[in-house]
Amino acid sequence: MKKTIAMAALAVAVSFGSVSCKKKVSDADLQTQATTIVTSNPGASVEIKDGVAHLSGTFETQEAKDAMIKQLKAINGVKDVHDMATVAPAASAMNTPVQTQSAVDPMVQQKVQDAVKDIPGVKVEVVNGELTLTGNISSSDARKVKESVDALKVGKVKYNYTVKK
Amino acid sequence: MSTLQDKYSSVVSAAQSAGISNLQVQEQDGILYVSGSASNTAAKDAVWNALGTIDSSYSASDINIDVQVSGLNTGAALTVATDESNLNIRQEPSTDAAIVGKVEKGSSVTLVEQTSDDWWKVKTEKGQEGYAYSRYLRA
Repeated sequence: MKKTIAMAALAVAVSFGSVSCKKKVSDADLQTQATTIVTSNPGASVEIKDGVAHLSGTFETQEAKDAMIKQLKAINGVKDVHDMATVAPAASAMNTPVQTQSAVDPMVQQKVQDAVKDIPGVKVEVVNGELTLTGNISSSDARKVKESVDALKVGKVKYNYTVKK
Repeated sequence: MSTLQDKYSSVVSAAQSAGISNLQVQEQDGILYVSGSASNTAAKDAVWNALGTIDSSYSASDINIDVQVSGLNTGAALTVATDESNLNIRQEPSTDAAIVGKVEKGSSVTLVEQTSDDWWKVKTEKGQEGYAYSRYLRA
């Protein structure tokens, strides 16, 4: 009698076990689904370990990161999401000036500098990788500056000065 | 017609009616390039005046006007068009070069050659020869 009960209990346990095993989605499957989601953000990657998604990399904004965590959590079988990712909007901002410093040819900057040399109040700078003219000048001087700078055909130039009427 | 060509159509038509030769209108990287040769300063001014009507502060980054006065004959009379000061006549076509003479605003010089878009070799009434910045010369 005791034996029967034990057997029955074992059978129940085994069946439960097998059922729970069937329900459990393998890490490999989860990995596929999770990767599909994460590829939308090129800076990030995800790794599934024991049903837990480990998210790493960088996101442009906190919102983008939160949205992705939500999506990962929504995958059937993902128990939790470990957030190891960072938000780095500064990264692009930090990179930009470096790129831009080299994006504007110093020769070009010098040419523009020479062109506006005898117009007082105009400054030639590289701001966010763009050749930018700043200062306070009159409308007629602004025209002279543009005439001279346009003649150089150096591409995009920002005229960011205050023009007195 | 593109948006930019549309936006600056008055500049292009001003160039056409001013008789700008070799007139080229091209769009590249979000900039409308208008270039050509003017036979005199008035023609060049007509183009720039048209831009001024649209953009009074001359600060548009999406148009590049390169209309230069060219093809002037040696001996052509030029008027000095500085703001107030005298125009420097220099030994070489550079603002770093020594000043060999000065000419008053409104006075006249004769053209020796259009060395570049920026620098023209001129002869003053006193017979001095040297280079002057073309921006301050009207043909």
